[in-house]
Amino acid sequence: MKNMDYYQSPRIPFPDITLTGTTASSSSLLPAIGEDDDNVGAPVPFDIHVAYRRHLANEDVPMPIAAILALTELITNTNAGTMYELVEALKTAAAVLKKRTPNPISLTAGCDLFIRYVTTYRTPTYDFEAQKAELVAQGQEYGRTVVRQCREKIADHAFGFIKDEAVVLTHSYSRVVIKALLKAGKKKRISVYVTEARPRGLGMKTHEVLTAAGIPCTVVLDAAVAYVMEKVDLVLVGSEAVVESGGLINAVGSYQAAVIAKALNKPFYALAESYKFLRLFPLSQYDLPTHNPHTLSFPSHVPETHPSNFAPSSPRPGVPSRTYSTAGLFTSPPTSAEQIIKNPEVDYTRADLITLVFSDVGILTPAGVSQFLVGMFAD
Amino acid sequence: MADKATRAPTKAEPKQKGPPPTAVPPPKPKLSKAERRELQEKQRAAKSEAAAAGPSTKPGPAKQKPQKPSADAPPFSVAASQQGAAAPSRRRSFSSSTGPGAAHDIRSLHIFSHFGLPKSSSHGIKGDIHPAIVRLALQFSEFKIVGANARCIATLTAFKTLIQEYQTPPQITLSRHLMTYLSPQISYLVSAGRPMSVSMGNAIRHLKYEISILDIDMPEQDAKNFLCERINHFIRDRIVVADQVIQQLCLEKIHNGDIVLTYARSSVVEKALLEAHQAHISFSVIVVDSLPLGEAKHLLHTLTSAGIPTTYITLPALPSILSSVTTVLLGAHALHSNGALFSRAGTALVAMMARSRGVPVLVCCETYKFSDGVSLDSFTKNELAPAPKKSPNSTNPPNLHVLSPLYDLTPPSNITAVVTEVGLIPPSSVPMVISGRGLNQGA
Repeated sequence: MKNMDYYQSPRIPFPDITLTGTTASSSSLLPAIGEDDDNVGAPVPFDIHVAYRRHLANEDVPMPIAAILALTELITNTNAGTMYELVEALKTAAAVLKKRTPNPISLTAGCDLFIRYVTTYRTPTYDFEAQKAELVAQGQEYGRTVVRQCREKIADHAFGFIKDEAVVLTHSYSRVVIKALLKAGKKKRISVYVTEARPRGLGMKTHEVLTAAGIPCTVVLDAAVAYVMEKVDLVLVGSEAVVESGGLINAVGSYQAAVIAKALNKPFYALAESYKFLRLFPLSQYDLPTHNPHTLSFPSHVPETHPSNFAPSSPRPGVPSRTYSTAGLFTSPPTSAEQIIKNPEVDYTRADLITLVFSDVGILTPAGVSQFLVGMFAD
Repeated sequence: MADKATRAPTKAEPKQKGPPPTAVPPPKPKLSKAERRELQEKQRAAKSEAAAAGPSTKPGPAKQKPQKPSADAPPFSVAASQQGAAAPSRRRSFSSSTGPGAAHDIRSLHIFSHFGLPKSSSHGIKGDIHPAIVRLALQFSEFKIVGANARCIATLTAFKTLIQEYQTPPQITLSRHLMTYLSPQISYLVSAGRPMSVSMGNAIRHLKYEISILDIDMPEQDAKNFLCERINHFIRDRIVVADQVIQQLCLEKIHNGDIVLTYARSSVVEKALLEAHQAHISFSVIVVDSLPLGEAKHLLHTLTSAGIPTTYITLPALPSILSSVTTVLLGAHALHSNGALFSRAGTALVAMMARSRGVPVLVCCETYKFSDGVSLDSFTKNELAPAPKKSPNSTNPPNLHVLSPLYDLTPPSNITAVVTEVGLIPPSSVPMVISGRGLNQGA
């Protein structure tokens, strides 16, 4: 093909996803491993989900990394004697994790990344136990270092796009967005609108952190996103996963923010660490793995009510008490807990609504994300 | 198409085309030359066909099928019908459909006159053309083997026969000479049959590469067997297994209660729908058809026989039914590196309408159909569909032009995702796959 060289050029270099790290000496760096070593001889079988929850309890560990750390624990606990057995054990464990987690999107990205690393892992040594130790060490090293490095790089990328006196709109709570905003807030005078992000109300957390850092921050209702969009210079959101279409899966409300931003010609930037890149191609909201038949379903039978009786089913007199809780206590009236449970947790933002994706592998267009993913997994 | 299969072209047809070349206005001497050469080739082909194909096809008819073969069925089970073998392949041009006004047609429509015309380099049928190729060219030109996959598999199967029957001349090695033997066969196939499809082009390029890396010291029979094995592998890896992967991926995108719309007939889409039905997904299908080929009738037959609830509509009814559709599944002739889809004429319309209503458009396409070229419109390269069967007493008025291009181009903006054996990818990632996979190892 004479044109082949031309198509080589736009190829994006592979990220530094290779789990670079030192040797087994680092295996005792995580306290979690110490606990786990006690379990090795114990008759209690290793539970991948318990390990995952334990890692996730650490505030700084995101879901994909918790999954990777849980899988490295599995390697230390498994008695697999061959690489094939090991990969099968990892796949089974990943399937268990996905099954037992209500929203497995983000975790799947971590599992896929680690399993792919293990399957392509080549080493000169034939000692399988040594290989396993090496895999564990690299996995832990990756989990220990990558989060901070990624967020640092992303904050650097975003810095150039946030101008002095910029008004930023962000959605809910995202650690990487907070990092980027704090970094920008140190050098530039920025002000931030943050959505309330019902029902979990995580926007209040963002508000707290930013206000404490001295950045002017205002909470807007989810319904008021269109209202403030006119005054906004750019929209910054985090992500649960960036998918193969170049689109984004994030806390529900991101999609509407993107649609409004597009309608008003405001740039919509997504911040995503490369371990959140996921081989998934949702065609619509209803094609997401989190979607189930109960999501926003109509009641099967409507109780007969008088047409004038349109008051909420459980009207509470007086001022509704607004309780924001991260533990999933949905006590804010008038929406009932059943009504909230019917609602989706995440939504899918189409690629054409996203201006750029800031990632630790660079600033990518949505098409670039897709090419990156194809290059990473297709071989 | 059953009606086309039984059609008996008259011997008078090529003679009717006598006038056009001479009547073409002088400013187009090249075209007239090409036309004349074309005619000569046809007549010559007809003679050799009558001589060669006649006896060799006789053992075939036991397996003769009324339908055109799908990609999985060995296309060679379809033997050229005797009437077809007796007459030269029809010229798919405007002149054949109009007769007396042919000269006028060519002048008024000559911006489309390159449709379906073979490349100028494809002349010179020197030496022997293998009967398998002659028969294949006929089957192509008669539209008895239709579809990018079916044509590619048929071509490769014919090449296996050719390679096995090939004798290297003395003092020459097989790897140096085989291609010079195959080239005229390929030229004949694209001049007497139909223009080369992207799928065939990629497969042939792959074959050339395999020939070029053959070890010179390999014994001749071993080399032949090796090449045939490589061809088998190509068919298995790039078409058969790729289709299976695509079916599995489609399965994930067809949910209970879905209404899937498809246009014309694609072997991959057909298999994907059947697979989804076998997986006990309850969905229904809307099959959209259009003239002149009416291919979707065969798909309709297959789907209804399998017990899938199916609705058959023609293209004009599309807007009224589109609001109920959840997914559009399309087949592909080729996918260009700018993400543009080259597929049966009408596909672009379906994709555009579906996108305008927010219905996801999925294109099922094996990566071996990816073309490294860029295509911006469907005028620069296209083919003409065979003229529909006319009733004998109807005469077209001389000022009536029939133009039915075979393909059209769907811009990437109207495609949601391409379902390939490497996964679901957006059309923008097509060049990544072409470069990343080394689509043609020979390149």
